[in-house]
Amino acid sequence: MPRKTRGNSRGDFLLGTLDMLILRSVFSAPAHGHTIAHVIEKSSSDILQVEHGSLYPALHRLEDRGFISGFWGTSESNRRARYYRITPLGRKHLIAERSRWQSLVEGVSRVLGPATE
Amino acid sequence: VRWPRWFRRERRERDLAEELESYLTHETADQAARGLSDTDARRTAHRQLGNMTRIREAEYEIRRGHLLTRLESIWLDGRLALRSLARRPSGSVAAISMLGLAIGITTAMFTVVDALSLRPVPFPQPDTLAYVSLQPARTQTVTSDASAAALRAWQHSPAFVHAESADSDTAGISVDGVVAVRRISHVTPGVFDMLGGVRPLLGRLVNASDIGHSVLLSEDLWRSLFQADREIVGRSVTIDGTPQVVVGVLPSEFRFPTWNTALWQVVSPEHPPATTPNRLVRFAPNVPPPDALRLATEAAIAADPSLAGVTLRVRPLIDQFVDPYYQRAMPVLVGGVVLVFLVLCANVSSLLLARLTARQRELSMRSALGAPRRRLIRQAVAESCVLGALGTVAGIAICWTLIALSRSWLSEAFPLHTLNPLSIDLRALVVTAGSGVVATLVAGLIPAWMGTRLAPNALLRVADRGSTDARGARALTRTMLVGEIALACTLLVAATLLVRSFINLSNADRGLDPKGKLGVMVWLPRQAFPDPASRALGAQRIEEGVRQLPGVRHVAWSYGLPPHGGGTWSGVWSSDAPGTIGQMDVAGYAVGPDFFALYGIPLIRGRLFDPADQRPGVVVGERLAHLLWPGLDPVGRTFRVDGRGTTGTFHVAGLVKETHFPSLDATLDMPQFYLPLGTAPTTPAMLTIGCDPVCPQTDLVRQLVLATHPSIRVRDVRVQVLEDVYLEQLARPRALAALGLAFAAIALFASAGGLFSVLSYAVARRKREFGIRTALGASPNQIRRLVLRQGLLVAASGMAIGSATAWLLARALAALQYGVAITDPVTWCSVLSVLGLTTMAACWRPARQAMRHDLVALLREE
Repeated sequence: MPRKTRGNSRGDFLLGTLDMLILRSVFSAPAHGHTIAHVIEKSSSDILQVEHGSLYPALHRLEDRGFISGFWGTSESNRRARYYRITPLGRKHLIAERSRWQSLVEGVSRVLGPATE
Repeated sequence: VRWPRWFRRERRERDLAEELESYLTHETADQAARGLSDTDARRTAHRQLGNMTRIREAEYEIRRGHLLTRLESIWLDGRLALRSLARRPSGSVAAISMLGLAIGITTAMFTVVDALSLRPVPFPQPDTLAYVSLQPARTQTVTSDASAAALRAWQHSPAFVHAESADSDTAGISVDGVVAVRRISHVTPGVFDMLGGVRPLLGRLVNASDIGHSVLLSEDLWRSLFQADREIVGRSVTIDGTPQVVVGVLPSEFRFPTWNTALWQVVSPEHPPATTPNRLVRFAPNVPPPDALRLATEAAIAADPSLAGVTLRVRPLIDQFVDPYYQRAMPVLVGGVVLVFLVLCANVSSLLLARLTARQRELSMRSALGAPRRRLIRQAVAESCVLGALGTVAGIAICWTLIALSRSWLSEAFPLHTLNPLSIDLRALVVTAGSGVVATLVAGLIPAWMGTRLAPNALLRVADRGSTDARGARALTRTMLVGEIALACTLLVAATLLVRSFINLSNADRGLDPKGKLGVMVWLPRQAFPDPASRALGAQRIEEGVRQLPGVRHVAWSYGLPPHGGGTWSGVWSSDAPGTIGQMDVAGYAVGPDFFALYGIPLIRGRLFDPADQRPGVVVGERLAHLLWPGLDPVGRTFRVDGRGTTGTFHVAGLVKETHFPSLDATLDMPQFYLPLGTAPTTPAMLTIGCDPVCPQTDLVRQLVLATHPSIRVRDVRVQVLEDVYLEQLARPRALAALGLAFAAIALFASAGGLFSVLSYAVARRKREFGIRTALGASPNQIRRLVLRQGLLVAASGMAIGSATAWLLARALAALQYGVAITDPVTWCSVLSVLGLTTMAACWRPARQAMRHDLVALLREE
């Protein structure tokens, strides 16, 4: 069985995208998993549907790589929850990923051209 | 990698569970707020989250790359391997002990070979060390002053890096009034520097200021005579009556110049106690030997003009220990141990392979549950490694025991021929342990390889049927068994030949009775006994003293003590019969009147020596008589010998029975003749004591001889039991025969054990087949025959191949055989019958088990 490689070279396009979305949603303030899932859905006007279960391994992978750090806290509804806050390394990574994404989008739109009927 | 988090795997799992639970409560609350009932809300939350198991798997994927996780999985593999070994304890113990035996024996053997053959002199650059002596020309004498001058010159000569003096002698050391006789070496202070790498256990090494009054002790002496007293350094001990200060203790690993030297006394090169001191030098590495010798000779002559004309005699230090017997025996021993090693490794492999069926079922089960092939092979590797590690530990223990045993039990056979202290050879240990682990790895990987190559469902089906296993593995197991039995057969033939040689050697006719005889050699000092009259008086005193001892029946003086102590008369022999014999070595003993009676050598014709009878004449042995006068009566005839320094014409007065010195080296057993000994014994004076019923203690005899004259010192007297001289000659063949027999026994039992276990597995595997056969009407006897045939076929092919290789080996062994031919029918019959019986015994129980299968129980099992 081929070993899955980690890091930016990961072939899985969507996973990389999920990482970016997570980092963006904890950019301004720490948040817990439940909030993050809903924030991503809401801020994309429900275009992006995140499978909530896959969110957690993604969070832990990001934590493992040092982009976010987790801590236990109390949620707005007064329940125990694990919060994640972005680290300086995570900020740098998000900025780099965002510009990469933008150039990707730009490139793809140029190839596709303006929408024609 | 951040360690602390990964350390706590359990906490991490708990965190995950709690986090997911937190999500569920939040989501449930959200859904409830939308108006769903509690149960529905909870269910929807679960649906939103998705498959929890997949989340956990994804989590594991994240952790997998971490170092600790890897270490943990290695630990888990190791634990699993241990468990799987423990599940089949008897097979595992057998495999581990066989692997241990293989590693232990081979390492021990290579340690011995290394000590005896490869590094008998364990000092740096041993081949540049040599004894050098001054050989005077005819009519020239080398004075001790000249010799000292030469040594001084050599110390500054470019030919040598070092030049020192080292003599070996015997001395008495008195501790609390008791004198113990030990080997002593008189050394110049620089000897230890020259040898290199010598570190004292206690105290220090010696320097020029210690000359004349200092001594170093060996660790063994320090432990035995001084109870390992750490305060010994600086104390005074009495050696040969003179007080000496102990400056240090040398470790038991240091052996020089003989293996049992216990004392090193520091002497000045100017006044060595020996008349012809041994000069030990280390040749300069960049000077070619002929040039070095020329330089050294010139330097010696320049230092003392009286040395003009001397030549240098060089005896490399290594040559003192290289023993022709071991040179011949080493390849045989190495070959033997390699064969044993192969047998045992093949056995371990076949044992592991025989478990294939059980393993296959487990492997296919694990494979069906989703274990990737890589994982299964890794597990096999882990199991082999655990087995290999345990085997290596056992091997080290066995090797250590064997070395300790050979040190104490085979002392006369081994250490005599080496300065190497016989410590476990690490290189050999690494090589043997490595090959042992490789053998287990191969044996472990083959089942994993074969087991995982097939599709799991096919495997499950095969395993369920429980009748056949992978054909390749079975063929391999059988081939290995055939090989093992062949090797065991080879070893057994070789060992039997060696044992028979040893028996022949020890039972060989010696022509005299060595029981109850003591040989005493006394060097009467020239200063105290200058002329024949004083020597005769001294000898008479000694004889009178010895006769007083209890148990002494005969006392006989001679020059030359049997078995091989006679003066060698080398030259061209001729007799009054026509023709000359030619060049020949003959032992000539000068003997007193009691000699023949003492040794029990019977007279065949003529007369023996009688003090009252002054007629000239010599007595010849049968062999010499037969050579000089074939078929004729030698009495009254004359013979002549022309040699260097040994020329004479002799008249034969009597013929006695021949004495023999049985030895593998036939040249040691020479024909002999006897001359009458004059009234004054030569020096050394030799005295044989014949005793009945028991001989006095050798120490008692020595004390008595020492008491006869104050100038006779401990080192001037040597007492030995005559039988020991024969035993010494037997020690090496005995050691070789014992080793060969041990090797053969191990190989035999290992291969019989292998056959037994493989057949047992086969029977267990074919239970169902036997059941069907029985159901179809096969009688129990027919089934037994089936199994027996399988085993005996393997044994017979092994024996056939083994006989062929044994034949080749036996021919190579010819130089080590005494009185036994390689076609010796006794050897071959006994080997083949032992092998046949052993393999038969190994097959018997599995065959009976096959016969006794209970059909009903078999059916119920399904």
